Amino acid sequence: MTDSPDSSRSSSTAPATSQPESEPESEPEPESKFESESDPLPDGGVDESNPLESASAGVNEQFENIRKTRRQRAIGWVVLAVSISFVTIQGLVATEFFSDRTRFTWSHFAERMGDYFPVTTNEIPGLDAGIPFLDVGSYWEFIMSNELIYDPEVGRLIFQFPPYLGDYYAFFFEELGMFTVFGEAGTTLAMGVVGTILGFPLALLFSVLASERVTPFPINLIFRAIMSFIRSIPAIVWALIFVALVGLGAAAATLAIALNTIGNLGRLFVEELEELEQGPIEAMRTTGASKPQVVFFGMLSQVRTSFIAWTLYILEINVRSAVTVGVIGAGGLGAVVATQESRLMFGNMMATLFVIFVLVFIVELFSQRLRARLRSDQEKQSIRELITGFPNRMADSLLR
Amino acid sequence: MSKIVVDNLRKTYGDTVALDNISFEVPAGEFVIILGVSGSGKSTLLRCMSALTEPTAGQVLIDGEPMTSTQPEVAMIFQQHNIIGDMSAYSNALSGGINRNSFFESVLQLQDNEEKQQALEALDTVGLLEEAEKKSRRMSGGQQQRVGIARALTQEPEVLLADEPVASLDPGSAQDVMGYLNRAAEERNLTTFISLHQVNIARKYGQRFIGLHDGQKVFDGYREDLTLDVIDEIYGDIDTEGMFVSHGEDASHGGSTDNQPNPNEGATL
Repeated sequence: MTDSPDSSRSSSTAPATSQPESEPESEPEPESKFESESDPLPDGGVDESNPLESASAGVNEQFENIRKTRRQRAIGWVVLAVSISFVTIQGLVATEFFSDRTRFTWSHFAERMGDYFPVTTNEIPGLDAGIPFLDVGSYWEFIMSNELIYDPEVGRLIFQFPPYLGDYYAFFFEELGMFTVFGEAGTTLAMGVVGTILGFPLALLFSVLASERVTPFPINLIFRAIMSFIRSIPAIVWALIFVALVGLGAAAATLAIALNTIGNLGRLFVEELEELEQGPIEAMRTTGASKPQVVFFGMLSQVRTSFIAWTLYILEINVRSAVTVGVIGAGGLGAVVATQESRLMFGNMMATLFVIFVLVFIVELFSQRLRARLRSDQEKQSIRELITGFPNRMADSLLR
Repeated sequence: MSKIVVDNLRKTYGDTVALDNISFEVPAGEFVIILGVSGSGKSTLLRCMSALTEPTAGQVLIDGEPMTSTQPEVAMIFQQHNIIGDMSAYSNALSGGINRNSFFESVLQLQDNEEKQQALEALDTVGLLEEAEKKSRRMSGGQQQRVGIARALTQEPEVLLADEPVASLDPGSAQDVMGYLNRAAEERNLTTFISLHQVNIARKYGQRFIGLHDGQKVFDGYREDLTLDVIDEIYGDIDTEGMFVSHGEDASHGGSTDNQPNPNEGATL
């Protein structure tokens, strides 16, 4: 039906129905051209396909063709819209939106939001009423007392007056406090960073071996399959698996993130290696280079910059996913969120979410700047986009 | 110094015959130009000679040894130069001698000083010694092609193959690159094969010419044999009148074709 304009025309033989249809069609044409002609169609249809009076046969034919195409396209859009709505309704049913068990209780939700955002009032001298505002103080108190962003035990080694060199040494080489000084946020950050660093070499190895240029066709699929398998299991589930190895804690989470990095980063590397230019590889072959040399000079040298950029991108994702993995109790900010939620301390939970936002934002900012420098021709992301795009990226990483 | 024998070389891609039983013999040290229009089989011939492409039938012999896989003795220069853009001109030149280094030596640039001297001298030969530390991506097309030549020279080849080395260059850079190729071949006594489609450049530098048309060898001869009729044959039925103005002028006042055209000629065409 959609690709047969004749049938659509015959459906509109009655003048009454043809009128509304003609409106969008005749839009680009002057009105006057359509007023005064007789019916040119052999099938007797009175509709919008009137020829242009003053135009030649060729122009008229083309005009008619364009009109047909436009009509077909319009029908296509309608069909698309209908099918999407159809699928959506089926999906809403499957996700229990219309089920009796799902009740939208906005009042309860609003009440809960009040817990998330504790309000205090500012007493104005001389007046009974005050101006209500968000109780940032209670957030801050929780953040500091639970060492979310700063561990005074470690921090006192460097933040002291007068500075004492021995303590600096202790800070870096005995406490190894570069991450731990930032408290829970430092743990989350370390999980992401270490996971990325541990995963990188294997991601590189697997992606090179998965490339058809290096490993002959059926065998390279083995490495692709391994990476697919790793990817198909979310990091949070991997963490549950690694609990058996190292117990519940940040170590299990880090191993899970490292493993996931092999899958995700390796996949990106493979894509990049697929788009290599043959030229430099052939050039290295003609120099009589050995196979590893051809891989390194002919292949990896072409993708070095983009590999670094992708690794930074995965680092961003890994820090976000360190939050998610922490939720099972594997340490860091995620574990704090989970604990406060189970204690129904929603204000504390919100304070932690703010810390997460700031941490991820800083990591993203760092990574974006670095990547922008690497690919100087790439368009730079503005700070506004960084902030407004945050919920999206957070949601993306939750799905991993 | 290597003698090259191409023996009944044939290459087909499905039904398309790219090379149709090509045979020729080139003594060591000759500077050979391969002429032909696009699709005449020039690239395929050079790729078969460097063993990048496997011939359907026939073989290429270098000093009597069949060329079955890529050899350090045979260096290749490409139209798109194919150097590594992220590395400096020097590192690119150094990578030519990669076959003499182990993997870690080459990756960490731990080659001995002799190698490094060689790379720098190769850059000197192509006039890029000053630019050695420059990232090759930031260089002009002509300079990049010269880096490609330097890499090929560091390889210490006996045979130098160049597949349309000047096709994507402006006339001035094309002259430069051809000049450096010519000089390098002379200094190092290389047997050189260069495919070209600019007849005027070919005539300026070539010693011997091999003409291809539709995969067949239609001409094989030295400078004095390369007449306008021969060029017509190589380039087929297309109107060569306007294309080879400089050739016509040259023939009219010079008579024989083996005089050196003036240096500006390449730029006019």
